[in-house]
Amino acid sequence: MRDIAGTVACIDGNTFMVSDASGDVESSPGTPVGLFAADTRFLSRWALTVNGERMAALSVDDSQYYEVTFFVVPGGAVDYVQADVSAIRRRRIGPDLTESLTIFNYGERDMELDVRLEVAADFADIFEIKFDIGDKVGSHYTQVRPDELCLGYRRGTYRREVAVSASEPADFDPNGLRFAVRLRPGEQWSTRLQAAMRALRPDGVDLRSVLRAQRPDDSTLPASVQAWIAAAPTLDTDSAALQQVYQRSLVDLAALRFAPLSLGGAAVPAAGLPWFMTLFGRDSLLTCLQTLPVTPSLAPATLRILASLQGARTDDVLEEDPGRILHELRYGESAAFEEQPHSPYYGTVDASPLFVVLLDEYERWSGDRALVMELEQEARAALAWIDLYADLTSTGYIWYQRRNRATGLDNQCWKDSWDSISYADGRLPGFPRATCETQGYAYDAKIRGARLARTVWGDPDYADRLEREAAALYDRFNRDFWLEDRGYYALALDHDLTPVDSLSSNIGHLLWSGIVPPERAPRVVEHLMGPALFSGWGVRTFAEGQRRYNPLGYHNGTVWPFDNSFIAWGLRRYGFRNESGRIAEGILSAATYFEGRLPEAFGGFDRNTTRFPVRYPTAGSPQAWSSGASMLLIRTMLGINPHEDHLAVDPALPSAFGRIALLDIPGRWGTVDAFARQRPNKP
Amino acid sequence: MTATSAFFERLTVAGQDPRFSKVCGSIRFDIRDGDHLEQWRLNIDHGRMQVTKGPDPATTVIRVSAQVAEAMARGEVNGLAAIARGEILVDGDLGLALRIGRLFPRAPGPSHGDADSGA
Repeated sequence: MRDIAGTVACIDGNTFMVSDASGDVESSPGTPVGLFAADTRFLSRWALTVNGERMAALSVDDSQYYEVTFFVVPGGAVDYVQADVSAIRRRRIGPDLTESLTIFNYGERDMELDVRLEVAADFADIFEIKFDIGDKVGSHYTQVRPDELCLGYRRGTYRREVAVSASEPADFDPNGLRFAVRLRPGEQWSTRLQAAMRALRPDGVDLRSVLRAQRPDDSTLPASVQAWIAAAPTLDTDSAALQQVYQRSLVDLAALRFAPLSLGGAAVPAAGLPWFMTLFGRDSLLTCLQTLPVTPSLAPATLRILASLQGARTDDVLEEDPGRILHELRYGESAAFEEQPHSPYYGTVDASPLFVVLLDEYERWSGDRALVMELEQEARAALAWIDLYADLTSTGYIWYQRRNRATGLDNQCWKDSWDSISYADGRLPGFPRATCETQGYAYDAKIRGARLARTVWGDPDYADRLEREAAALYDRFNRDFWLEDRGYYALALDHDLTPVDSLSSNIGHLLWSGIVPPERAPRVVEHLMGPALFSGWGVRTFAEGQRRYNPLGYHNGTVWPFDNSFIAWGLRRYGFRNESGRIAEGILSAATYFEGRLPEAFGGFDRNTTRFPVRYPTAGSPQAWSSGASMLLIRTMLGINPHEDHLAVDPALPSAFGRIALLDIPGRWGTVDAFARQRPNKP
Repeated sequence: MTATSAFFERLTVAGQDPRFSKVCGSIRFDIRDGDHLEQWRLNIDHGRMQVTKGPDPATTVIRVSAQVAEAMARGEVNGLAAIARGEILVDGDLGLALRIGRLFPRAPGPSHGDADSGA
């Protein structure tokens, strides 16, 4: 993976284009730039020249996520721009790419311009780019027609194609197209370029035509964004920074919506640009949990698609079990030919309990009992998976050990990099492993499942059983994971039940799940807010002092906004109002350094040392659960919780904010407002 | 008997599947072997399954070669991957087709998940 700083992205769900600041794409292996749809790169080169000169960017307007405008002039980066000729490229992403190119002659002479667009398509799968795999099995083809350049890739019955055309007469050749443009002084010339992306079946039917039907004309997408924003509550606050974060997050959540082909148009969140532009079980469930007060429409669609793809059999490549909720779903060539296991891949241990947690939380907000009835079997199967398939050592915990040894994930919790689970002295535990936060999710899922069984499914016996199991898990967990001498919970259990003794942010999630006895909570909170974990911006994934701590370690020391938002929720649950507020203040302040867009993660350096949050090199942005983090932090500051048929409000504002009001919060109560104001005599 | 007809025989005998108690819809499998077209129609009404042979219309149609159909019936096909690579063509309700995919076994032979289906 490489840093893609300085790039410009244009997004519509899992279709997106990443270019340089002049609008050009010149991809090299291993770099995620180009035009992508459904995990496939349809354009790997898209480079404009005028009279043989490349264009240099003067300014870029990307205020709409699906549209970017580049103001460019010919010539490299020089001190003095002789800009008689200038151009505007207005790019728009929808089901296909359109780009309007306008060239101006503000000079005093007639101009003969050779306008050239270099085009290439490598049809690389996103995993070929991620792992820098060069050679493709299938064959490329090129068809030059009078009115279009068609580039294709074929491997057996798998076929992908991109057709580039223009509204003005052009000369097409295998490497692009060319316009001969004559401009008198003061004249301008325009053309509208299109790159139509096709996923062709052997009978010629384009699988992507459904997407075109969902975006019948140019106004569909802007109208849907307006409707999305109009349906969300209005934030009223004296903090311009918070307002910026809220608006940015709302729009980024809109950008990442995509409609899986099997769902009839309903949208779910893709996880994030550029590597995760698809459905992830864990990311989408946590994003829905974060955003219920603001964009609840994501939740039923997410629950439905995860239910429809719930595991039904046992498969060691996909790591599928009956009842298991998927980890990752991909549509690219590597998934299609089962070279990667993502069709779908089930290697996660938290998505199944979180599925039940979201179903219950969604019902509490929406009162949508019909959905709880509709998904009863899937929820029961997810709960059954916890006990029947995840307890690999028959000790009453969720464990993981990959069965797909070639391409499966070592760590199947949210910290899924290979070295994320280690002892304080740096040793890696054996397998299977049981991480602490997953046991919390299982406990919460059983408690919430019991509520659904009692109040909606009419099965009190099942509810009693789930509650008994939850109580037993609570006792067992507090016996086996608690490190009395340290005053916190072990990150995980090793295969032989030895506690993996490092101090990590995972213990914060335990507060959210409610598996911590109230008398132990103060000691846990002391660690979360202590200097080893709390950087001043937020809680680090991994504490200073652990052998593998690194402030730029992906899961070993960086600060993740999503992680912090759930910790803040947990702190509120246990009554730690000020501590929750400190996290909200820290994370939301950090957002101002990223123009309101919280990245996936940032450096774990101390706030007093760096004074600004240090960018993590390959952090994805926008990232759904980072956008969701700001929504959840607003929820925790307002202290809003559904309580029977109304919304309870119990604000706890950190001193950085004078006033926050969230107006028209949707739910079973219709819409209500929640207010928080700084008290004159604050504690 | 081919694995395909054995598969549909099994569905006929089973008659119902509790996993589909909230599912209603009809799916026709058009299985082509050269010039020969074999058609099976599966109707699901709240878990009750009815199999008929022939060209009756259905809301969702799945088109495959006889070779792929045999592999599916033997449990050797990942349906989603096969759709993405163009070996299984689905017209109609893709979501329903994916659910119905659970009726097919997965090699190597029936998994212990099948123990749940009679519950």
